[in-house]
Amino acid sequence: MTRLPTNADVPASDSALESMHKPPIATGIEGLDFILQGGLPAGRPTLLRGAAGTGKTVIALTFLCQGIAAGETAVFVTFDEAPEALLGHAEGFGFPARRYLAEGRLRILDMRPDRNEVQVGETIELTAVLARIGFALDSLGATRLVLDAVDGMETGFADLPSLRGELTHVFDWIRERAVTCLITVGEYADFSTRYGLEDYIADCVIALTQEVSNRVMTRVLRVVKRRGAAHGSNEYPFLLDRGGIFLVPITGSVLSAKVSDTRLSTGISGLDAMLGGQGPYLGSITLLSGQAGTGKTSIACSFARAACEAGLSVLYISFEESLDELIRNQRSLGIDLARYHRTDGGTVDGLGALLLQPVRAVELGLEEHLMRAIRSVRQHRPALVILDPISGLAARSRDPVAKEMLLRLLHLIKEEGVTTVATELLADDGSGVSHLDVSSIIDVWIKLRRHENDGEMNRLITVVKARGLPTSDQVKEFRMSRDGLQIVDPYVGEGGIVYGTARMARQTEDEETISQLHLDLERARQLRAELGEIQAANERLARAEHEVKTAALDRQAAEIERRLAAIERTRTAIGRGRA
Amino acid sequence: MTTHLLRLYIAGRTPAADRAVRNLEQLAVEVATADLVLQIEVIDILKRPQLAEDERILATPVVIRKLPPPMRRVVGDLSEREKVLIGLDLKVD
Repeated sequence: MTRLPTNADVPASDSALESMHKPPIATGIEGLDFILQGGLPAGRPTLLRGAAGTGKTVIALTFLCQGIAAGETAVFVTFDEAPEALLGHAEGFGFPARRYLAEGRLRILDMRPDRNEVQVGETIELTAVLARIGFALDSLGATRLVLDAVDGMETGFADLPSLRGELTHVFDWIRERAVTCLITVGEYADFSTRYGLEDYIADCVIALTQEVSNRVMTRVLRVVKRRGAAHGSNEYPFLLDRGGIFLVPITGSVLSAKVSDTRLSTGISGLDAMLGGQGPYLGSITLLSGQAGTGKTSIACSFARAACEAGLSVLYISFEESLDELIRNQRSLGIDLARYHRTDGGTVDGLGALLLQPVRAVELGLEEHLMRAIRSVRQHRPALVILDPISGLAARSRDPVAKEMLLRLLHLIKEEGVTTVATELLADDGSGVSHLDVSSIIDVWIKLRRHENDGEMNRLITVVKARGLPTSDQVKEFRMSRDGLQIVDPYVGEGGIVYGTARMARQTEDEETISQLHLDLERARQLRAELGEIQAANERLARAEHEVKTAALDRQAAEIERRLAAIERTRTAIGRGRA
Repeated sequence: MTTHLLRLYIAGRTPAADRAVRNLEQLAVEVATADLVLQIEVIDILKRPQLAEDERILATPVVIRKLPPPMRRVVGDLSEREKVLIGLDLKVD
């Protein structure tokens, strides 16, 4: 076996030891760097394994191009894809790879095995691979190296006893070379285990898998090993599309979010009033929960309009309605979203820009939806983001991951200081119970429900909670008409609280009763008054009669006394006369 | 008369490289006729790595028939004469 003279000059142990103390090398993939607590181990090989289509090459290209963008130079060794195809990929993800190539900051080594090569004899040596890589690294002064689809080597050559030893030699050399290196392999026949890549060569092993559940594919990344440093050990879903690789970066704490005293109007004066007069705080999360047709989207659109009118930019991520549908439907309620809608993100007339982003592809997994949402928020940095609805997603995948992702999304948006309005569709049979389990992070929770009575449907609105705001405890009626959205106080009367037409009916009914009662009351009072008068008159009469009778009796008595006295006098006179 | 240009790339003077050089030189002597001349160049890619890059060489020793076209490649220590002749598409009467 041949040893390269250039390599023998540098004792492996020294360079390895030296690199142990270097800070990690960022891949430029934010979420991945977070999981790896900084990035790939400096000056060490990292193994990236996963089946075809899991995104290995994209991660590798990103790692290289981000490094080049930051002023480094890099070598990409391809064992599978044509250099031209790789350049196309990289440019598709927005990296000017051809320019890097022309500027001598990137070199692509084409190491695809030549299938027409005839193999004769028992011995082949792979020293040429090392010589070429070493030469490229040296002439570029490259600091980043990628060996893409290295298992292609094995399939390219007949299975000779010497091949195994030679490949091992290649990996040993890579390890000793002490360059920050990303080696990608497929899952083909456990290549990485057989050559000790997993256990011995690589200081860091990252596995990519794709899971299909409910016919929806989710890509998952896991850091299997990371020598000499800590790493996140969970499985992390990630997104792979035209925008490149996107992992949901989980950040330490949400408590760092900026706290604002400024309020954001809901655009509905009645609702603002229910929330202490001015609407929710900037940077808060408002959840609008309600059954179908209760007006969640309309309230969300009202929020959007109010923010745009206030000169704030809005990102509206619609998971159900298309852009045209949304604009048309809201126009019927007097909300003209088209006025604010900008595709370029620019502003006009001091109005905030409204960016409508429909994400309707049902074939996407929840994670993909949410990651798209997070990425959009990062890209556009709006003041207000509307997620309409977040429940459709959670309903599709009932697993706890979905809820965790949702929480993570809300946490992230909150951390960015962005105000959120999310809608949640409640099931008709669910008696208004939210299944999202996100209430802990919700600042303002508004519940909408249908109230069906006497052949009529009314919409009711309640503020379930509103952190830091004086709120209305009353269930109010919410009306949607051509004239817009309106909050109406309910009718509180005899027999409970009523809404809608019933409210009016009940009101009329009650008014009649009242006037009748007033009449009755008046009559009663009159009677009562009359009764008193009669009583008084009677008393006066009785008194008069009494007086008359008394006087008559007095007179009678006086007469009798007078007569008696007269008789007595007469008798006395007669007696004196006899005597 | 046809001249065949054969380039043998080796990576250092390894036993396999030596065997390949020997086998190829012997073959050149054996197949040489008045009409067929085999011209052999031995290149050590450790000394000239850019040539390994240009020829996209992975495994050594490898012999490449540069002339006449089309190009033919045979990798290994060239120990089996017949397979080498077929691989390099050398017509021997």
